Amino acid sequence: MSFLTPLFLLGGLALALPVIFHLIRRTTRERTVFSSLMFLLPTPPRLTKRSRLEHWLLLLLRCLALALLALGFARPFFKETTINDAAVPGAARRIVLVDTSASMRRAGLWAEARARVDLELRAIGPGDQMAVFAFARESRPLLSFGDWTATPPDARAALVNAKLAEVSPGWGATNLGAALIGAAEALIDTEGQTLTGPREIVLVSDLASGSHTEGLQGYEWPKGVTLRVETVAAKAGTNASVQLLADPTDGDRQTAATVRVRVRNAADAKREQFSVGWVPAAGGAFMGVPVETYVPPGQSRIVTLPVPAGPAQAIALRGDDEDFDNTVFVIPPVAQKISVAYVGSESADDARQPFYFLRRALPTTPRLALAVTPVPTGAGVPADAAVVVVTDALSAGQATALREQVLAGKTVLAAPKNVAAAVALAPLLGLATWPVEEGRPKGYAMLAEIDFKHPLFVAFADPRFSDFSKIHVWKYRRLDFSARPEARVLAKFDNGDPAIVEVPVGKGRVVVLATGWNTEDSQLAVSSKFVPLLYALLEWSGALAAPGAPQAVEENLALSAGPNEAVVVTGPTGPATTLAAGTNRFTPLQPGIYRFEIGGRTEVQAVNLDPVEARTTPLPADELERLGAPVARTKPSAVSPIGQEMALQGAEAEGRQKLWRWFVVATLLFLLGESLLAGRAARRSVTAPAPLAP
Amino acid sequence: MAVANPPPALAAGTLIEPKALMGIRSLELRARAVVEGFLHGLHRSPFHGFSVEFTEYRAYTPGDDLRYLDWRVFARSDRYNIKKFEDETNLRCQLVADQSQSMTFGSGGHTKAHYAATLAATLAYFLHLQGDAVGLLTFDENVRDFLPPRQRADHLRLLMLALEKPAGGRATNLAAPLERVAQLTRKRGLVVLISDFLAPLEQLERSLLLLAASGQETAVFQVLDPAELTLAFERPTLFQDMETGREVYVDPAAARAGYVEKMTAHFAAVAGICEKLGVAYQRLTTDQPLELALFEFLEQRRRRKTRGRG
Repeated sequence: MSFLTPLFLLGGLALALPVIFHLIRRTTRERTVFSSLMFLLPTPPRLTKRSRLEHWLLLLLRCLALALLALGFARPFFKETTINDAAVPGAARRIVLVDTSASMRRAGLWAEARARVDLELRAIGPGDQMAVFAFARESRPLLSFGDWTATPPDARAALVNAKLAEVSPGWGATNLGAALIGAAEALIDTEGQTLTGPREIVLVSDLASGSHTEGLQGYEWPKGVTLRVETVAAKAGTNASVQLLADPTDGDRQTAATVRVRVRNAADAKREQFSVGWVPAAGGAFMGVPVETYVPPGQSRIVTLPVPAGPAQAIALRGDDEDFDNTVFVIPPVAQKISVAYVGSESADDARQPFYFLRRALPTTPRLALAVTPVPTGAGVPADAAVVVVTDALSAGQATALREQVLAGKTVLAAPKNVAAAVALAPLLGLATWPVEEGRPKGYAMLAEIDFKHPLFVAFADPRFSDFSKIHVWKYRRLDFSARPEARVLAKFDNGDPAIVEVPVGKGRVVVLATGWNTEDSQLAVSSKFVPLLYALLEWSGALAAPGAPQAVEENLALSAGPNEAVVVTGPTGPATTLAAGTNRFTPLQPGIYRFEIGGRTEVQAVNLDPVEARTTPLPADELERLGAPVARTKPSAVSPIGQEMALQGAEAEGRQKLWRWFVVATLLFLLGESLLAGRAARRSVTAPAPLAP
Repeated sequence: MAVANPPPALAAGTLIEPKALMGIRSLELRARAVVEGFLHGLHRSPFHGFSVEFTEYRAYTPGDDLRYLDWRVFARSDRYNIKKFEDETNLRCQLVADQSQSMTFGSGGHTKAHYAATLAATLAYFLHLQGDAVGLLTFDENVRDFLPPRQRADHLRLLMLALEKPAGGRATNLAAPLERVAQLTRKRGLVVLISDFLAPLEQLERSLLLLAASGQETAVFQVLDPAELTLAFERPTLFQDMETGREVYVDPAAARAGYVEKMTAHFAAVAGICEKLGVAYQRLTTDQPLELALFEFLEQRRRRKTRGRG
């Protein structure tokens, strides 16, 4: 017989009570009234006599009643079944989520995380299922439930340890929300099995505040899934991080290129003095004099570093204890040279003509050296021009030469000032004849039906910027593109005539504006849309590299490789690898400078740690609960898994057998017998001859 | 001092068992039963002519008052005998009965108080039958009732009523009632003190001496329960004093020897005082027939008379 709540057996100690009462009764209850005590001396109580028990049967009954009551409360049961490994109904299903993000690279954290997983392995019950997932930016299974059940029970721990030995913290950010949601989904996906046991996620993580938990906000947790957090805590130390900031705005007219970095110090830091400076990409000592900066704990400072002349490609921070977030890789900015050819005959100073506005719309900045080169009518168009703007009528030779360039991939913006200039575009567009007539709207025309999905207008897609109605057009050319069905109308006038049309020609394209931005034709040049449109055109043409978003580790990197171009990647470490042809995605796994050889071109990309990951201060304790995660408040008790299993089975067996009822009934019967016996004894003692008292 | 050897007639099973006697509710009937049984047995006894007044015969000598010549004896024996009387007048007897709480103890179905009351009533009835005047004083720590000796017929009833009052009081004061009797009784007479003497004895001797000095003849009956003599209890219990309420844990088996020793010494002290002062002392236990007490009483008086005269 076993007991569900054996602590109640301590109630058996109450057996001493009847014995004590029987003894106490001997000493205090009985009184003899006597005529005079003048000859009597108090007798010291004689123990042998006092401890003599009378009413043995009564005492026995009382003790038995108490003992049975204690036994009943201890909820006895008979063991029914032995533990069965296969398909235990109450077996737990558990996913251990191991954090392998960059913040786990801190000293000692990974070893502690592995120790926690090892503890989980030891605490696993015989019928329990366990899966181990590693997660950083993405979550990936190290050991699935299938692997677990397919492995013999005695080899499971070794298998998990082997799998864990293969991984180590990478450089990725912590996408905790996605990992938790993925684990919860994996838990409820039982693949047709009916599992009634508890389902639990065990999160082994440092819970850095840089973890991305926002995914949890709208997530409705499946019922029955609980989350247990095993936090691994780093040794207290100073951790400061350095983060690359975006370039200053173009309005910042500075003569020399600089790079700005933000130095952030953790709230629990003990040191405040750091030095920041350029280092070689491969690491090493500072190149030049580092900038000393003072950052109090929990605060951040922005440090501006001049771009050095040498091959420096990294900025390092020194002075803290954790190294993983101390380096940012930077491609030092160089001024980009873009040449724009303008085919027209106007004077650069005529404030009513397109050239005047074009030159002012494309100024030279430290990062961008824009050159607008006028090309007189009839002259050859320079081949290095990224974009050719045509406003005047092209000569036949020019048109033919330009068409060759367009066929090779050039972008031409044609804004014919008059019908003749428009007609002269026909050879460029590959048309023999092109009927063009002057359009004269009543009053003015406005742009309508703009295709905001087109790269030219995608910047204006936001409703805040999509109002083109302030651009009035007084004169335009009514163009007919029925001969070129591939022409795409990007915008129309409000009367339905095409206003902006993209005509693909070979690899290149010709964007035709039905109106010009000279003051006679329209207000386009003086509107706020003009400069963004031009830059969008430059970007679209490929001449102007879009400001690259800071590339983080484990984020997909888009490559500009064509369908058949092979890509050779040279990472910060290791030999160059060749990607399969047609691959235009690459996922860097560690920060550093990546060099891509794509069809003879070389692209260089700096990949850095997600700056959020550097926030290593632990999350508030209730943060996960606040986000709705079913965090288990109590840790599982320290009983062995076998013990847990047996306790569960015992609870079930006890619930079926309900032996306690019989013990309670027996207790009542004994008490009844005791009452009868005591009553009889009391009557007998009353009728017994006793010294007469008044 | 135990009861002297009873006369054979009294010992021959004709005595009324105290247990049966106490079953009679009326005190007067009880007293009558004892006296009549005593007198009934007396007829067959060889002892004749017991009387309080009558003391003895003596041979007539010339000059004696012829009034006291017993002509009947002369008729039987042809000798002149003079009836000798102790007192010319009737006897005046003052019964002094203890009604303190300690008298309410009893182990044999009746209490010492019952027994003592019956004894007092018996004596009163007996004396009344003889035409003597009987008075009663009851006491506990104080004097409770006082009835002066009278000879009237209804006086006996008052006396019985006073004897039937329940016992009370928180102590036994032996000196006060005796002194009171000495004060109140001018004429010489007989004082019979009935008590358990479970009280300090400091004043007893002085009080008895006072009585003797005032010319009172004194007899003492000590009434005890058999259980008191032997501490006849088995289980150790808390013993509670009837008068003071004091409680003491006593194991009788352990305390018996000391108890008996102290008790014997106490009673010996009582007897010693009585002996010293010439007071008749008799100890009675409540399981002894009352006739014996009566017999012993008269026998002692006879001896005293003899001794006194001798």
